[in-house]
Amino acid sequence: MIDAAARLAELRSLRTSRPAARTASAVRWVVRNGLAVWLIVAVLVVVMAVHRGGSFLSEQNVSNVLSQSVVLALVAIGQTFVVVSGGIDLSVGSLASLTTVLAAGWIAGRSGYVVPVLLLLMAIGAGVGVAHGYFVTRGRVEPFIVTLATYFILQGVGFAYTRVPVGSMPIGVSDFFYSHAGPIPWIFVIVVAVGVLLAGVLARTRFGRHVYAVGGNAAIARAVGINVTLVTTACYVVSGVLAAVAGFLLAARAGLGAPSAGSGLELSAIATVVLGGASLAGGRGRLLGTAGGVALLALIQNSFTQLSISSFYQSLVLGAVIVAAVAIFVRRD
Amino acid sequence: MLNGEQAQASSGRADRPLLVAHAISKSFPGVRALREVSLTCMPGRVHGLVGGNGAGKSTLVSIVTGVQEPDAGRLVLDGEPFAPRSPHDALAVGIAAVYQELTVLPNLSVIDNVFLGQEPCLPGLVVDRGAERVRARRVLDELGLSGLSLDREASELSVAERQLVEIARALVRDARLLILDEPSAVLAGPELESLFGSVRRLASQGVAILFISHRLSDVMDLCDEITVLRDGQVVSSGPVAEYTPSRMIRDMSGRELAELTSVEREVGGEAVLEVDGLLLPGTEPDGISLQVRAGEILGLAGLIGAGRSRLLRAIAGAERVHGGTIAVRGRRLRRNSIRSAKRYGIALIPEDRATEGLILKMSVSSNITLAVPRLVARFGVLVRRLEQAVARRAISSLSIKVSDPSRTVRNLSGGNQQKVVLARWLASEPAVLLLDEPTRGIDVGTKAELYEIIRDLSRTGIATILVSSDLPELLALSDRVLVMSGGRVVAETDAGRATEERVLALALGHDGDREAA
Repeated sequence: MIDAAARLAELRSLRTSRPAARTASAVRWVVRNGLAVWLIVAVLVVVMAVHRGGSFLSEQNVSNVLSQSVVLALVAIGQTFVVVSGGIDLSVGSLASLTTVLAAGWIAGRSGYVVPVLLLLMAIGAGVGVAHGYFVTRGRVEPFIVTLATYFILQGVGFAYTRVPVGSMPIGVSDFFYSHAGPIPWIFVIVVAVGVLLAGVLARTRFGRHVYAVGGNAAIARAVGINVTLVTTACYVVSGVLAAVAGFLLAARAGLGAPSAGSGLELSAIATVVLGGASLAGGRGRLLGTAGGVALLALIQNSFTQLSISSFYQSLVLGAVIVAAVAIFVRRD
Repeated sequence: MLNGEQAQASSGRADRPLLVAHAISKSFPGVRALREVSLTCMPGRVHGLVGGNGAGKSTLVSIVTGVQEPDAGRLVLDGEPFAPRSPHDALAVGIAAVYQELTVLPNLSVIDNVFLGQEPCLPGLVVDRGAERVRARRVLDELGLSGLSLDREASELSVAERQLVEIARALVRDARLLILDEPSAVLAGPELESLFGSVRRLASQGVAILFISHRLSDVMDLCDEITVLRDGQVVSSGPVAEYTPSRMIRDMSGRELAELTSVEREVGGEAVLEVDGLLLPGTEPDGISLQVRAGEILGLAGLIGAGRSRLLRAIAGAERVHGGTIAVRGRRLRRNSIRSAKRYGIALIPEDRATEGLILKMSVSSNITLAVPRLVARFGVLVRRLEQAVARRAISSLSIKVSDPSRTVRNLSGGNQQKVVLARWLASEPAVLLLDEPTRGIDVGTKAELYEIIRDLSRTGIATILVSSDLPELLALSDRVLVMSGGRVVAETDAGRATEERVLALALGHDGDREAA
């Protein structure tokens, strides 16, 4: 009885919205929906457009930036699923490197092999994802450890296959990779379509909501009847398949299979996910935010090229931007 | 939905049990949690399950809901054998549980939490938001949450609101058996009334309800039958008419519990703790002054938010103060910090033991010796033998029930966890003991033990300040009571002359127009 009055007063005070509270909730809304990083992107675009107007906005450069970003975009989309579900996937760089050399090596310039090999590579990616899901859920091994192990294993398999660039992609595939309508590459359109589709899955489907629940608290998710094993595994499968396709695109871009083409992708992907406002602890994150992170990374890279600054400074600035953006925008609860 | 129709159908044969548990047994390492426990849940009836902490209530619930499998015994649902392997299996046949630990996900919105695991879907597995909103609104309105936005993130809700969201989750499931595990612990007044209203409505629709609570008056109010558990066994079971709160306490504790009486005591010691004009940010300019003598227990009464916990934290150096002095045995604290307060012998047992008092992943002995590194280390190196000795002494003097001091604290019951926190500070031999809600969430038997411990300690000359929202407890234990309201001390009274009504009236102050429920 004695608590009731105080609690009522507390409830009432929570509901009255002061201007400060409204501003705070507006900021929260922006951050929660992954829009914060887009603000930085917008500022950077304006600065570059003013500073290097003509060459920055040229059809050639825009098309370049967009097609450069598709590989990272695919890997980052997969990483978002895994991170929101409360895990992490360190294996994607090695997986993409492996599928690059396998794609170029197996296709070896023969057009008829393109589709079957792509499907096979996707199956390999899915298999890697199933293995991750198995060890994380049934084996109860930390996702960091499991995927660190597969990072090395896949790297080893790739190096066993070849240590030098191998194979070749049919001219048609490379041509398609570089084809564009105006400044927009077709491959970019396809990747955006995949991203929109998967954003819908994450935001609007039962599976998507369960991904957030598992990442928020797996024990609670299990208690309300969610199949945590299935949801977790599915996220790693999404990540594995997209990383495999990213490897295929790397081969299409280069025309052959370079054994270290995908190295470092895993860290870039994690950076984009974090920049997009996701929590590495799981349960929070949106694909719109991840897309902003990808755009930011691509823009920083392009700006340095445009301004002819040594790529050495690129990593330096990138690191500073990550720390600054996360310190400013990411929620701490 | 389908389950709703089944619930309707089963109300037609209300004489047939919905769920029967036959001789369920379950053991954990070192504990026999359940011994041949049998229980029957009838459609349309509310069955109360009571027992002390560690009596086996939660284990029984976890078996019925498929979280754990029994070692022996069987469940029968609608006359058919039933062996759930996961919560999913139990939910599929209409068994829904509202758990004691809050299972609301802070990162999801209210509506997403309500439908978690049971989202109504359009073809293609896309969530049907329109349908969700209509149903969620209806259920939340029934629970008295008509002012709560469906899109608020759960992390922004109060504990009471989260508890109601959790109950809403069970309500939208159209359950045939609804298990409520301590749902009323954090609710009061109107919230409690709307919860009880919802439970009664569900029962009248033929839903079987299993209601678990420490609040015996709630059990008497709501239940048709009662089963009492003690040490994993059924002590007694029968219709509510056969029970009174005192019989339940007798059955739960295995002995007649002496009425909690205040003991007239001589307190003539010197002043140990002297607080003079302590100024907390945002309170009265003249500050708070008080004295506690050796061997005295000073009670702080007041509503939640009256500033009692803050005052305790300020004395212990855990809260910023703007002015005033604190002195222990005439020596004035020079700095306002936890370390300095500790050096002068001030020990604070915080309100929330799980997050502020204990490191749940560390062992019992490490937790006990955490604050006294000097006692258990030589030249900065921990000596296991010393640590064990200190821990064993504390464990036996407070009769903490743990088979092995190297086990993690997480495995202990709430009452024993609280004793571990006490033991930690007693190892440092404090002059001043500050107790913030020391018996919250602890069963009656352990409470009685804690009362004895607190009295014994004060007899050794420790000056104690006690904060408790349980007024009878506060009045019985304290020698003197200060009543706080709005960050000020508004009255002082001898415990002997204070009555609950008088203290409550003082605590409510002039806010007579506030809804005191």
